[in-house]
Amino acid sequence: MSTRLPKRSVAAIALLRSDFITQWRNRRSVILVLLVPVIILISWKGVVAKMGAPFVLSNCITIGLTAIGLMGYSNALARDRDRGVFQRLRVAPIPNSLILLSRLAVQMAMIILLTLVVFLVAYENLHISLTAGAYLLSLIAAFVGGALYLGLGQMIAGLQKNAETVNATTRLVYFVFIMVGMFGELGLLGEQLKKIVHWSPYGTVRTIVAAAVQPANWSTDTSFALLVTIGYSLVFALLGIKWFRWNTK
Amino acid sequence: MEIATGETQYTVSEDIAGIVLSVQNLKVTYGNFIAVQDVSFSVHGGEIFGLLGPNGAGKTSTLSAIEGLLKAAQGNIFIAGFDTKEKPLHAKANIGVQLQATSFQPELTVDEVLQLYAGVYGVSLSKENRARLLYDIKLENAATKRFGQLSGGQQQRVSLAIATMHQPQLVLLDEPTTGLDPQSRRQLWKRIEEMRNRNHAILLTTHSMEEAEAVCDRIAIIDHGRIIAIDAPEAIIEKHRNDPEVISASRKGKITLEDVFIGLTGTAIRS
Repeated sequence: MSTRLPKRSVAAIALLRSDFITQWRNRRSVILVLLVPVIILISWKGVVAKMGAPFVLSNCITIGLTAIGLMGYSNALARDRDRGVFQRLRVAPIPNSLILLSRLAVQMAMIILLTLVVFLVAYENLHISLTAGAYLLSLIAAFVGGALYLGLGQMIAGLQKNAETVNATTRLVYFVFIMVGMFGELGLLGEQLKKIVHWSPYGTVRTIVAAAVQPANWSTDTSFALLVTIGYSLVFALLGIKWFRWNTK
Repeated sequence: MEIATGETQYTVSEDIAGIVLSVQNLKVTYGNFIAVQDVSFSVHGGEIFGLLGPNGAGKTSTLSAIEGLLKAAQGNIFIAGFDTKEKPLHAKANIGVQLQATSFQPELTVDEVLQLYAGVYGVSLSKENRARLLYDIKLENAATKRFGQLSGGQQQRVSLAIATMHQPQLVLLDEPTTGLDPQSRRQLWKRIEEMRNRNHAILLTTHSMEEAEAVCDRIAIIDHGRIIAIDAPEAIIEKHRNDPEVISASRKGKITLEDVFIGLTGTAIRS
């Protein structure tokens, strides 16, 4: 009696194809995710002169990354778990990790799209242009920062079964990150909170993206922020993957 | 139907008497709650085996353990000779599954769903093969329809076609007729019988005693996580026809499988 398993590459392509199609068919939510950083970017036209392009661009990219990880990815996971999509895929002869990796690949594409859109709007509306190296480094920083928020989204969706609870939690965390993150970094909420925000998931990602936009500003503080970002990502991802609840029961 | 396969091919056992599924002393727990205890049975190629029981009796937990969705606390499960603990992917490659709720991405079209599962099962399905498959389930005009736009019966047909597209030795059907109209139900049973004729082993759960009696070769009645009767439907009826509980459950004079089921599991409504 012989049984040959399906080729991993064939299964991966099939999963990727369907996940990209699903993302495309849900493009209204994709547009909404991209819209927030674009609106902030356009409305902050006056801030560029005061705070500098790296500050504005890094905030917009960080907010977009937060939206992708918290609003997009985690809710899509919770929604498909609720529908039983994962249950059906898990009874197929493919490893569970392949199912999640395919989902993550789609989000990585979203990160590229977000970064490109922010840079394009910044160029068109605010006439901000960077060196080729800075564009590349920013993309890498966006990937690293995006991994943190995808890890956080994975953790929230993984540890809670109910899709409504996941939705409510991610909205709350998203709101707190944006409000406390942006205003805290500006020092509007006090010096103590400014320090906390600086080393929070919001602050560390913003720091590395800001330094990537202007590589000459890369400092020891940025390197520490990079390490902390990687640390956060690993902890969130490990918790979210290890204790991921595949079904709602 | 003949499906063109690529490098990954699966063969259905020719040995009708051969055991395709063997469940041995299965125990499934949810925290401190024991959902399934000491359950053992086997299903042969070319056999329809029904798992019957009241709500919460342990049917779906047993099925989930076989599918690899739940980890058994104790016991062993062998599918087509593969131990599900040691070779879970090989075991899964030999199962076709129709879950209780149809569970494909509603954003995908029927054709895209077929392509996805052809990929994850390693089946090479050309456009013509997919069209033929849809023609077989009378959905030839639905290829470009979103899965979420299909009726319940149409979704069940797609689900069953996907469950068997890789010619698995074992087909698991969890309450396959729930929510179907009589026409769709009849058609589904016809398809299940065709699968039996092609030597698939079929394990299904159902609440319909009439259907179980008419279609299943053997049944197991499970209650409170334990198997309380296992045999051919007529043999079970024969064995219990004189039980006082069965006689008092009988309403039509003639003892049916439902009477035996009620007699054995009681009249109390389960959660």
